Amino acid sequence: MANTQGISGAAKQAMLAAVTDGKALKAALYLASATTGPTNAAYTATGEVTGSGYTAGGVSVTNANTAGLTGTTSFWTPSAAISFPTVTLATSFDAVMIYSTTDANRSLGVYTFTAQTITAGTLTLTMPTNDASTGLMRVA
Amino acid sequence: MQGNQVEQDVPLIWTTKGNLPVASLEYYIGWEITDESIVFREQYRLDGEIVKENAHVKLLKGGEAVPETAQFQ
Repeated sequence: MANTQGISGAAKQAMLAAVTDGKALKAALYLASATTGPTNAAYTATGEVTGSGYTAGGVSVTNANTAGLTGTTSFWTPSAAISFPTVTLATSFDAVMIYSTTDANRSLGVYTFTAQTITAGTLTLTMPTNDASTGLMRVA
Repeated sequence: MQGNQVEQDVPLIWTTKGNLPVASLEYYIGWEITDESIVFREQYRLDGEIVKENAHVKLLKGGEAVPETAQFQ
C-alpha cells in the first residue's frame, strides 16, 4: 500500500465553507455583450442588465446549505432557485454572478446559460443538484 | 351585477399592455438544451407582438476548482 499525495477533503471543505457558509449572497445578471467572468473579484455594475423591475445588484440568494463533502470533493449550491419576478429585460443576457455581500461583494462565480430576454415576466434560475458531480461550486 | 361577475371570471394575465384576457393571446413555448443549461421559454403574443415572456433556466452543472499540491524538492 503506497502513500498518496493530495490535499485532504476536509481542507477542501473548509476552503469552500469559508466563502459560502452563512454568507449573505446576491445574484446579478449580465448582458450577453458583457465580459464578466472569473477574473471579476467582486460584483460589478459594468455590463449588468437594466430594465423595469430589476434593481442594480440583483436579488438575494437563499443560502441554507453548507459546504458538503463526498470523498475528497467539496461542494456547495444555493438551497433554492433564484427568481427575478415581474421584470422586463429587453437586451439579451446570458450570465449570473453570485456574490457575497458579507465579504465586500466578493464574487463566488459567474455562470452562463442560453441568452435570454424577459418581457413583463419572470426569470427563474433553478440550481443544479447539490453534489460532488454537479454542485454549483466544487473543489475537487 | 351579474355582468360584472362574468367579467371577473375571465382569467387575466399581466402584460406590457396591462391585464389582458389570457384567451386573447397566442401562447408559444420553446425548449433549448445545451451542456450548461436547459431553458424553458414561454411567450404570450398579441397580434404578433410579444407582450409577456417568461424563462425558466435549469443550470446543469456548476464550476470546479482543483487545488494543486507541490512536490518536495
